[in-house]
This record gives sequence, structure tokens and C-alpha cells, in this order.
Amino acid sequence: MRDVVVIGAGLAGLTAALRLARAGRSVTLVARGVGGLSLAQGTIDILGYTPERVLRPLDAVAAVPPEHPYAGLGPDAVAAAVTWLRDELGSELLVGDPAVNLHLPTALGALRPTALAQPSMVAADARGGLTYAVVGVRQLKDFPADLVAGNLARSTAPDGGPLGATAAWVDLPARPGEADPSGLTYARSLDDAAFADRFAVAVRDAAGAGDVVLLPGVLGVRPGAGRRLAELIGRPVAEVPLLPPSVPGLRLADALRARVAAAGVRILLGSAVTGFTADGDRVATVTVAAAGGPRALAASDFVYAPGGFESGALAVDSRGAIAETVFGLPLTAADAAGLVGPRYWAPHPLFEVGVRTDAAGRPVAGDKVVHPNLYVAGGILAGPEPWREKSGDGIAVATAVRAAAMIEGGAR
Amino acid sequence: MRRLAADVVVVGGGSTGAGVVRDAAMRGYTAVLVDRSDLAQGTTGRFHGLLHSGGRYVVSDPGSATECARENAVLSRIQAPAIERTGGLFVSVPGDDPGYGDRFLAGAAATGVPAREIPVAEALRREPRLNRGISRAIEVEDASVDGWQLVWGAVNSARAYGAKVLTYHPVTRIDIADGRVRAVHCHDQRRDEEVVIECAFVLNCAGPWAGRITDLAGLPPVPVIPGRGIMIALNHRVVNTVVNRLIYPTDGDILVPVHTVSVIGTTDVKESDPDHLPIPAAEVQQMLDAGERLIPGFRRARAVHAWAGSRPLIRDDRVAADDTRHMSRGMAVVDHLTRDGVAGLLTIGGGKLTTYRLMAEHIVDAMGDQRGERRPCRTADEEIPYAEGSRHYVVTHRLADREADRLDDQIVCECELMSRRMFTDLLHREPLATLDDLRRQLRLGMGPCQGGFCAGRAAGIAVTERVVDAERATGLLRLFLKNRWIGLWPILYGAQVRQTALDHWLYAGTLDIEHLPTPDQEVVR
Ligand SMILES: Cc1cc2nc3c(=O)[nH]c(=O)nc-3n(C[C@H](O)[C@H](O)[C@H](O)COP(=O)(O)OP(=O)(O)OC[C@H]3O[C@@H](n4cnc5c(N)ncnc54)[C@H](O)[C@@H]3O)c2cc1C
Ligand SMILES: Cc1cc2nc3c(=O)[nH]c(=O)nc-3n(C[C@H](O)[C@H](O)[C@H](O)COP(=O)(O)OP(=O)(O)OC[C@H]3O[C@@H](n4cnc5c(N)ncnc54)[C@H](O)[C@@H]3O)c2cc1C
Repeated sequence: MRDVVVIGAGLAGLTAALRLARAGRSVTLVARGVGGLSLAQGTIDILGYTPERVLRPLDAVAAVPPEHPYAGLGPDAVAAAVTWLRDELGSELLVGDPAVNLHLPTALGALRPTALAQPSMVAADARGGLTYAVVGVRQLKDFPADLVAGNLARSTAPDGGPLGATAAWVDLPARPGEADPSGLTYARSLDDAAFADRFAVAVRDAAGAGDVVLLPGVLGVRPGAGRRLAELIGRPVAEVPLLPPSVPGLRLADALRARVAAAGVRILLGSAVTGFTADGDRVATVTVAAAGGPRALAASDFVYAPGGFESGALAVDSRGAIAETVFGLPLTAADAAGLVGPRYWAPHPLFEVGVRTDAAGRPVAGDKVVHPNLYVAGGILAGPEPWREKSGDGIAVATAVRAAAMIEGGAR
Repeated sequence: MRRLAADVVVVGGGSTGAGVVRDAAMRGYTAVLVDRSDLAQGTTGRFHGLLHSGGRYVVSDPGSATECARENAVLSRIQAPAIERTGGLFVSVPGDDPGYGDRFLAGAAATGVPAREIPVAEALRREPRLNRGISRAIEVEDASVDGWQLVWGAVNSARAYGAKVLTYHPVTRIDIADGRVRAVHCHDQRRDEEVVIECAFVLNCAGPWAGRITDLAGLPPVPVIPGRGIMIALNHRVVNTVVNRLIYPTDGDILVPVHTVSVIGTTDVKESDPDHLPIPAAEVQQMLDAGERLIPGFRRARAVHAWAGSRPLIRDDRVAADDTRHMSRGMAVVDHLTRDGVAGLLTIGGGKLTTYRLMAEHIVDAMGDQRGERRPCRTADEEIPYAEGSRHYVVTHRLADREADRLDDQIVCECELMSRRMFTDLLHREPLATLDDLRRQLRLGMGPCQGGFCAGRAAGIAVTERVVDAERATGLLRLFLKNRWIGLWPILYGAQVRQTALDHWLYAGTLDIEHLPTPDQEVVR
């Protein structure tokens, strides 16, 4: 029997597991898949839009409505959690000030607010007068340099100043005859110094005018390649995250998972939790679908960080019934009827549905805690559509840190 | 203002209009086809995808059955690449009257519809997901047809015969003087220009909008009653043959494998406005129940998209009941000379996509009657040229194409295996197209991810190819996502919820599409 079983290997599950292991708990982390972190943009958002663009995310956190997942935490807890993550992963991977948003170009040419970013990205932080030399790679279909440059050139920096952009392309297969590599394949090649040098020369020769050279987010699977490339290219360089497989996302996920493993957490990946047993109102074990048949994992406390609709932890059946799929936890709505509507750009309240908790992060039915030793964190929580407000990462980290703290503190 | 002249203007670029413009051009008339939008985006882009064998009508409507059987054979010959010879089955599921099968077989024999009862075990071997409780199975020659390929093929053939095709040219007025049609006015929406086409004949093939066209000519109303039906596509082929219930035709009794998906349908509900066709939740449930009866577990399969189309039925008291010269079962040609005293205007309504060629033959014959001449119809004799040659479509063809070019081309849409070259070739041929217009020919964004990965790529390529600028590309992308959503939200359950959440993470989360510089006006075409 372990002290804690953590379910989920996304940002929330990994964070909770690491915090608990560092606090001396014996922890098993069990997860079906790898979570959103490795698919996502590789930065740490706190709050990007409310729906106006947020310049100072902690100030915005202080002003969220009471039903928001941040409301029970407050800006200080959020700042502490995110700062911990930044310092834990180190300045090779995450830099920035949680109190101030960066505004980084996306692979469509929008300016996306985020709190912490990788050092290979921050040179692109938009400010009036900045010009971008966008350079696409013919082999990489997810970085449309002309569209990115065109949209940046029509944009205004958050400080109100103008932006400029040019577009250019390099045609450089990472491996002979490979016309359609994934970003990950290309990134692996850029970990090779000889290829990185050739790439840098090609980019240097091709890039148009601009203060910062904007490149697809494939600058090495390992952190650090960006710096070298910038030296060779002779201008500041910034990489732009692409659609999955997202190399910057993988860098964060790999680094965090390595730390979780190093801290002594027992990790069971590829293992879905399918149910649980209870002892009174306490969760006694969770059932894991494993090779050779189901297995029960017992623990004193459980952290449930299974993500939301995108991970399948929250599901809608063909008759519209919304359910949490492992514990059957109460949700803010049980029926999807009327929660999605015909207007694509309008909010879709279905994706606001989730679990509500007490101040300790335990699911509640009404105001009653469902299981006193079950804590939830991350995307499973009810709240505004996280992709709209760009809050998923901050919520995941801060609520995972809270769950760990409550277990460490022995909250009952 | 631009002026053109033609013998005949065909209004509507659905299957009917496409067949008519081809037929007219082949008979030597100078013809112009106009549509208010792109080709085959009306009913023809929102139908069920079944090339009827006639089986559905052998009891209820023998005349239609015979027509379908004949046209099925003709179209298979003249436009094979638009058709997949899936074959079809009629099956009795538990609760269906097994005696209907005998009436069906008798009807098939009487109408000339090829049909053969096969052992239940054989049907289950062919289609292992079928309800194990079926008691009878009859094999027919149903096939699956791509309405877009069918229309583009016919229209390209018409062009080769000199016809002109003007899309995004809504008709705004029809000039009539001294009891004759004189000209059609339309608005070239993409150049914002008025176009006047002088002509002696207008063939109104506007489907459910046909009544609006006769209104534009100032005629007494032609009542068109749109009969709306919904369809739902699953993300893969749960069957490889068309599966019909062996019962008198009703709602939700057909499951059609179309390309990589399978489509359940349909319903029939009277509507007032063909531009606003809802997909009501109750009908979605009805279709899922219907699917469940044919394929147990249907509700747990993944639905990727739903759509609604409306049947263009004309109910016209002004046409004498015995004036059936140009009518065949289920279709009607309204001659506005006998009806309203206006020469040069004919309206066609009803019909099926399967019989589109025959409908065209009827209306062009009717035009000949008015002109006092009879030029023979040749549309059944001549094969329509397709780049793919004369082979029938097979679902795996793109895999084969991909195998051939995998070292030198990129895949833009993974779900539908659409390559970059396929996309850029069409883009340069149709530089004014929207992404939806291109989608209908290429299947861009029609698979499980519904554009999650490919739509942004496509927009980006269009800028790189210098076909559009960044502002229009962004507008086109927004329009595409908005349009995909119309068919997504009504069936948002199961795995598609997960997909949709991922797509939102991609577009709103990673790419922040909502905060690209906003256009003064949304791109609408
Ligand atoms: C493409 C993409 C883009 C994103 N972009 C952004 C962004 O722009 N901004 C932002 O803030 N966030 C973004 N995110 C989301 C973010 O990275 C986090 O995924 C999100 O905030 C939720 O984190 P989480 O740890 O709670 O859940 P997840 O990352 O979804 O992790 C859930 C974990 O639980 C596991 N799991 C679920 N059910 C079970 C079960 N029954 N048994 C065992 N294991 C289970 C899953 O396999 C997974 O390991 C994005 C995510 C994706 C996928
Ligand atoms: C739910 C449903 C399922 C069906 N399934 C099948 C099937 O499986 N097999 C089968 O054979 N048949 C099927 N049908 C029937 C078949 O789809 C239709 O008969 C056929 O597509 C009608 O084509 P059309 O060209 O007459 O009409 P449409 O395709 O609707 O074309 C009319 C055109 O007129 C244009 N138009 C409108 N107003 C104007 C204007 N002012 N100026 C210029 N143009 C204008 C429109 O844009 C449109 O493109 C189905 C029908 C429905 C409703």
C-alpha cells in the first residue's frame, strides 16, 4: 500500500506526483496516456483573456468570478505554484515572470499571451516597432511562413505599436527523400550539430529583413539548440509551437516526467483506471486495467488528474448524458442538451462542465465532500473553456500543488 | 455590367442543372449554367449518397423503380469514377414483416429491378456487423455515388461542348416581354457586377428554390414544398454494402457506405425555407435508433458529421392532372407556356439524383417541343471523361495514390489522404474558391478530425501559392471552421466530443485563432 496514488500523467498529475514525492510520500502514478502537456504549446499559461487580452495575469486571477477554479486559490498560490514549476524545470526550459504576460506569435500569426515560455521563444515577445523575419521550412507543413508573416504585419503589438514581418523559406530535408516529416523527426535531426549548422546557414541566407528570426518550433528535442542557432544565424531567433506532435510541449513533458521518475515515483503508463472500491466514503483502491487482468491499487490518498473532455475523462453519450467516467463524480451539468449551440465562435457551455470542489480540492456534491481522501486537479475542474481564456496550465499546476499540500498537511 | 447571349440559361448547378446543361450542350444549344453559389452545394451536396438500384421503390412506386434500375446502369457506364459498386442488401430485422420480402421480389420481377434472395448466413458473412437476428436478405444493385464528382463530371463534359458555367451568380431577375423570356439577370458576387444573359429559354433547375426563380419572372407562385431529411455520417464504414430495411419505405431505413464513412438516413419533414434546415435533436435520436436496429452498437460508434437537405417537391394545381407528357414518376416538368402563357420558361421539380440524366432529357425534350424541333438526346451514349479514366471508384484508391507519391509529396489532410499537390492543382484552377468549395471536390476536412489539422494548413498553402493574401486566407479559414461546426454540434457525443475538444485546443489554444486581426467583414464566399 502506497501513501498516494496519482491518476493522470498530464501537467496536473505530474506536478502532484512530484510535489508529494519530494515531500517524502510514496507515490504511484498511473495513467492511460501521456496527457495534453506533450501535445500543447510548450509554454505555461496562467490567464490570457478575460475575454480582453490580459497583460498582468496575476491581477486578472485576483478578479475572477467565484465559480472559477482560480477563485479558491488566489493570485499568491497561483504565483507560488507556477514559480515553483519554473524553478524546478530551470531556465533552460522556462523563463518569465508570472506577473507579466508575454505575447508570442502563433503558427497562424496571432499574438498569444502566456506567462512563462521557453528561452527559445521569448525573443519574439511582441512590442511596438518589432519586425519579424519569418522563415518556413518547405518540409514542414504546419508552419505557413507567408500566412504567419502576413498576419503579423497586419497586427498591432499589445502596447499599441506597429509590427512588421517578412517571409522566406528554406528547402532542407532533414533526411534525404523525406518530404513529409513530423516536427518531431525534424527536431531530432536538429539535435545533430552538423545538421544544425547546415540549417543555420540556410536560414541565415534565406531570411528576409527583421529583428527576430521566427522559425518553426522544432529547434531540437533537447533544450538549448535555439541558442546555438541564434549565434550561427547572427540574429535573435524564436521558435513558434506547431500542432502536435509539439516539440516544445514534449520538452516540458519529458523534463517533468524525468524529474518525477528521479524522485522515486512508481510510474505505470498505458494503464487505464476503470473503477474504484470504497471503504465507507473513503476511496480504498482504484482498479487498473493491466495486462493479465484488473489490478487494485490501494493508498491512503488519491489525486485524480485525468483531464477533461479532450482526454475522455469527461464523456457525453449518444443521448447527451454527461459523466465522469471513473468515480461517477457529480458534475456541474448532467445533460448536454442546450449546452452546445450552432454558433462556432460563441461560448460552448458544454466545455465548462466539470467537477466542483471544496477549498481543499475535493469533489463536492452540493456542499458535501464526496470522498474525503480524493482530490482532483487540472482539466477535470469546472470552469470557463480553458482554450479560450488560456488558463489550462496555470489551473493544472496550481490545483495539483494544492492537492499535494492538502495531503502533506493531512487535511481531512 | 456584362452582357452575354445564349440559346438557353440553366438556373441551378445541382445534379439536375448539371445534367441539363450537358444535355443541352450536347444537342448543340449554346448554354450557360448559373448558380448562386458553388456547384453541387444545394440538395445535391446534402443527400444520402445512394445510387438507387430501384429496390426501394419496387412496391411503393414501380415506375420509379424501373427508372432507377435503368439509370443506375447508364450512370455506371458513363461516369464510373463517381460511383462505387458497393452492391446493396435489403434485410428484415426482428419486428419487420417477413412477408414483405415476397412482395418485394414480385415487385422487383415486375419492374425489372435485379434482385435475388440470399441466405441469411451469406448476408452476415458479407456484413458481419449486421443484426444477427435478420430473417431475410435480398441482394440488389445499389451503389454509392459521389454527388460532387457526378456534377463536376457532367459540367466538365458540358464545358467541353461549349457550355459556360457561372458560379456565385445568383439570378436576380428574369425579363419577360410579349409573353416570352428575353433575358436573365444575375449578380456576379465575386466581382460585384451585374450580368445580363440574353436568351430565348430558361430552364429552372433550382431544386427547392425553384419557386423563387419563377417569382423572379413575376409568375404566379409555383408551390415548392421542401421536404427536409437529415443524415448522419459515422467515421468509418460499419458496412461495405448499402444496407436497406426490407419494409415499405420509411424514415432511417438505409445505411450507405460513402468513401471512408457510412451514412444513416433519412427523415422527411415539411419545411418552409430551404435556406434554414434544422437538424433537430429528436431526429438525430431517431436515426441512431434506426441505425441500432440494423447494426447493434450503432450508438457507440463515432458520428463525425450531420447534414440536412430538402427534396424539391412541386405541388402545383395549375398544371392539369392529365398533362403528363414530360412527367415521370416523382418528377415534374412545368411548362410555363401552357400554365402561365409565358414562352421559354420551364421548371423541373422532384426526382432523384439517380435519375438526374433522365430528368435532363425530359426537360430538354420539352424545350424542343416548344421550339418545334426534336434534336436527339445523346447523354446516355457518351462516357463522361474523368482524370481517373473509366474505372469505378474504390475506397482504397487514395492509398494507392499515396503509395506512389509518398516520397515526394506531403499529406495535407491525413484523414482523407489529400496530398498537397491535389490541393494546389485545384486551387490554381479555382482561385476564387472557398475552402468549402475545394473540400467538396477533395474531401478536405471531412474525416474524423473535421479540419482540426488540415484547415489551417490549407489556408497557409493558399497564401504561399500566391492565390490569396493573409487576410483572405484567415477569413476563409474562419468560414471553413464555422461551416464545419454546422454539421458537428448536432451530433456532439462520444469520441467526437473528445476530438472537438482537441480541435479547440489546437485552434483556440495553440494557434489563438480568435485573436488574429479581425476582418472588417467576415469572408462569406
Ligand atoms: C493540443 C493541445 C493544446 C493545448 N494548448 C493549451 C494552451 O494553449 N493553453 C493551456 O493552458 N493549455 C493547453 N493545453 C492543455 C494543457 O496542456 C493541459 O492538458 C490541461 O491544462 C489539462 O491538464 P491535465 O493534467 O489536467 O490533463 P491532461 O493533460 O489531459 O492529462 C490527463 C492524464 O490523465 C490520464 N487519464 C485520463 N483518464 C484516465 C483513466 N481513467 N485512467 C488512467 N489515466 C487516465 C490521461 O491519459 C493523461 O495522462 C493543450 C492541450 C492540448 C492537447
Ligand atoms: C435528405 C435527402 C436524401 C436524398 N438521398 C438521395 C439518394 O440517396 N439518392 C438519390 O438518387 N437521390 C437522393 N435525394 C434526392 C436528390 O438529392 C435530389 O433530387 C437532387 O440532388 C436534386 O438536385 P437539384 O439539382 O434538383 O437541386 P439542388 O441540388 O438543390 O440544386 C439547386 C441549385 O439551385 C441553386 N439556386 C437557388 N437559387 C438560385 C438563384 N437565385 N440563382 C441561381 N441559382 C440558384 C442552388 O444554389 C442549388 O445549387 C435525396 C434528397 C434528400 C432531400
